Amino acid sequence: MSGLTKRFKWLATPYLLWSVGFTVIPLIVIVRYALTDDTGAFTLSNITAIADPIHARAFLFSLEIALGCTLICILLAYPLVMAFRRLRLSRGKFMMFVLILPMWMNFILRLLAWQMLLSSNGIINNLLMRLGLSPLKIANTWAAVMIGVVYEYLPFVVLPIYNAVMDIDKGVIEAAKDLGAGSMRTFWRVIFPLSMPGLKSGITMVFVPSMTSFVIADLLGGGKLQLIGNVIEQEFTHSMNWHLGSGLSVALMVFVLASMALTVKSENNVEEDRKNWEES
Amino acid sequence: MPDILELQHISKIFDGKKVIDDLNLTIGKNEFITLLGPSGCGKSTLLRIIGGFVRPDSGRVLFNGQDITDLPPEKRSLHTVFQKYSLFPHYDVADNIAFGLRIKRKSREYIQEKVDYALKLVNMEAFAHKKPHLLSGGQQQRVAIARAIVNEPEVLLLDEPLGALDLKLRQEMQRELMRIKREVGITFVYVTHDQGEALTMSDRIIVMNQGIIQQMGDPKSIYDEPQNAFVADFIGESNIIDGIMRRDCLVEIAGAPVPCVDTGFDKDEPVDVVIRPEDLTIVAPEEGFVSGRATDVTYEGAYYDIRVQSDGFEWKIQSVNPVMCGSMIGLSILPDNIQIMHKPRSSDEEVSPKDE
Repeated sequence: MSGLTKRFKWLATPYLLWSVGFTVIPLIVIVRYALTDDTGAFTLSNITAIADPIHARAFLFSLEIALGCTLICILLAYPLVMAFRRLRLSRGKFMMFVLILPMWMNFILRLLAWQMLLSSNGIINNLLMRLGLSPLKIANTWAAVMIGVVYEYLPFVVLPIYNAVMDIDKGVIEAAKDLGAGSMRTFWRVIFPLSMPGLKSGITMVFVPSMTSFVIADLLGGGKLQLIGNVIEQEFTHSMNWHLGSGLSVALMVFVLASMALTVKSENNVEEDRKNWEES
Repeated sequence: MPDILELQHISKIFDGKKVIDDLNLTIGKNEFITLLGPSGCGKSTLLRIIGGFVRPDSGRVLFNGQDITDLPPEKRSLHTVFQKYSLFPHYDVADNIAFGLRIKRKSREYIQEKVDYALKLVNMEAFAHKKPHLLSGGQQQRVAIARAIVNEPEVLLLDEPLGALDLKLRQEMQRELMRIKREVGITFVYVTHDQGEALTMSDRIIVMNQGIIQQMGDPKSIYDEPQNAFVADFIGESNIIDGIMRRDCLVEIAGAPVPCVDTGFDKDEPVDVVIRPEDLTIVAPEEGFVSGRATDVTYEGAYYDIRVQSDGFEWKIQSVNPVMCGSMIGLSILPDNIQIMHKPRSSDEEVSPKDE
C-alpha cells in the first residue's frame, strides 16, 4: 500500500464507526438472541423454527413472491429496454428518467397510492364499473402484493439491463443482421446472451429485497398475507419474542447469502470474461 | 462479365450534407472493385447502402437485376466484413463462423464441413475453440472473413477491413485476401482510403470525393492517367503544375515548351500538368526543360527523395542516384510520362488534403 493511501485511511473512520455500530454489533446481538432462549441457555430451536408449518408457509410464500417478481420484472424489462434502444440516445435517457422518477417519492406514499388504486371501491374498479365491467377483487390478495413488489423493483431490473444492452457494440448487432438473423434471432443469439451481466445484477437487486420485504405485504395484502418478513416483524413487535424473531432472521439471512453467493459467483465469471475482452 | 450489382442514381443526405450525389455504378460478377477516397468521401456510406444498413434518399440498388433497395440486410445475400471485425464475443471462433449457417438451419454435418473449410481457408484451424478476445487483430479479421465467406455470398462487402492492422500484417493480409478471392471466386467490393492497397488488389478502382465518382478504371490507368488534380494528388505522389497547351502534343511548363502526347485541348488552354516524381530524370542544368536548386535530399531506401526549387515551384523527384544538396540540376521528362488535365470545374475535383 502506498504512503498516500495510508495517510488518508483515517477518512474511512466515520464509515467504519457507522458499520460497526449499526451493522456488525446488531448482527452479533441478533445471532446471540437467535442462539439462546428466555433463560439464556443455548438452543437451535429458534432457527429450526423456520420449518414449523406456519413459518415454512410464509417462507415459501416469500420465495414465490420473490421468484415471481423477479421473473415478471425481467419479462417486462427486456421489451422495454429493446424499445428504448431504438430511441435516440437523448430520448432513451429521458425515458429512463421517467421510469426512475417515481423512485424519488417516498416508498410508503407510493404504496398508499396503490392501495387507493386497487381497493374494492378504488379508482380502477370505479373505472371498470363506469365502463360497465364487473369490479375486480384485487385488494388484499396475492395479486396486489405481486403488483406492489413488481412496481417497486422494476427500475432496479431495467437499469442494469438497459446499461448492458446499450454497451453492446452496434457493429456486433449489425453483423448478426448481415448474417441473416432477423430481430428475434438477433435478440436471442446476440443481445440476450451479451446482456447477462446486467440481467444478473438486476436479479440480485430484486430477488433479495422482494424476498425480505414486509411493508408491501402489510399495506397491499391487508395483513392477511404473511411473508416471512411479516412473521419476523410480528415476533419483534407484537409477540415480543425476540429470540424467535432473531432465529427466523438468521435462517432467512443464511438462505439469502447462499443464493447471493451463487449469483455473484457466476457474475464474477462473466465479469472476468468481459475484462479479458476489454483488455484485448 | 455479366453485372451482379447495379447502383442507379443513388443519393444520400446526412445532416443537410450530400454524402452521395446521384451516383451510378455497375459491378461485374467476380470483380474485385475498390471504392477509394479520403474519409468522408461517401465510400463507406455507399457500401452500407449496398449492404442494406443505410437506405438511400433516392435511387435503386439492383442485385442480379432484382430491386433490393427496400430489403433489410438480413434478407440480402451479400455479406459484410466490418472494419472493427465485430465478432460475437460470447461465441468461440467456430461458433462465430457457424452463425450464418445456423440461422439458415443447415444440418449439423453440413455446418461442420463448411466451418472446417472456412477455418482452413483463412489458416485458423488451430483456433477453432478460442474466444475472439484471445486473438490478435489480424486473426480476428481472418475469422470475420471466414464468417462471411462460409455463407457463400455472391458479393462480399469489405469495409476497410485492414484499417486497424499494422503495415506488415496489412500487406500479408492483402495477399491473403487476393488468394481467398481467387479460391472462392466471388465479387469483392472493397472500401479503403489506402491507395497502395487499392492499386495492389483491385481489378477496378472507383476514386470518390465528395460523394461523386472522380474516376474509375483499372489501377494502371488510374495511376498513369489521372483525369483531374484530385485523383492525381490522391493516388501516389505527383507534381501538379500550371501549364498552357500551345498546340496538340506541346505544352508550355514554366515558360518552357515541352513535347507531350496529349491532344484534344484548345489552343493556349490553361491546363494542369501531372508529372510523377519517379518519371523525372536529373540532367545537367542546361539540358533540362527546367532547372533549379536541390533543397532537400532524403534517403528512402529504394530511392532518394529530392526537392528542387525552381521559380517558386517545388518539384518532387524520386531518383536512385543522389545529388548534392544545394547543387543546381536540370529536370527532363519523356513525352509519354506527362499527363495533361483540364482545370477543375468544381471544388470536388481539386486537390484535397490527405487524411493520413
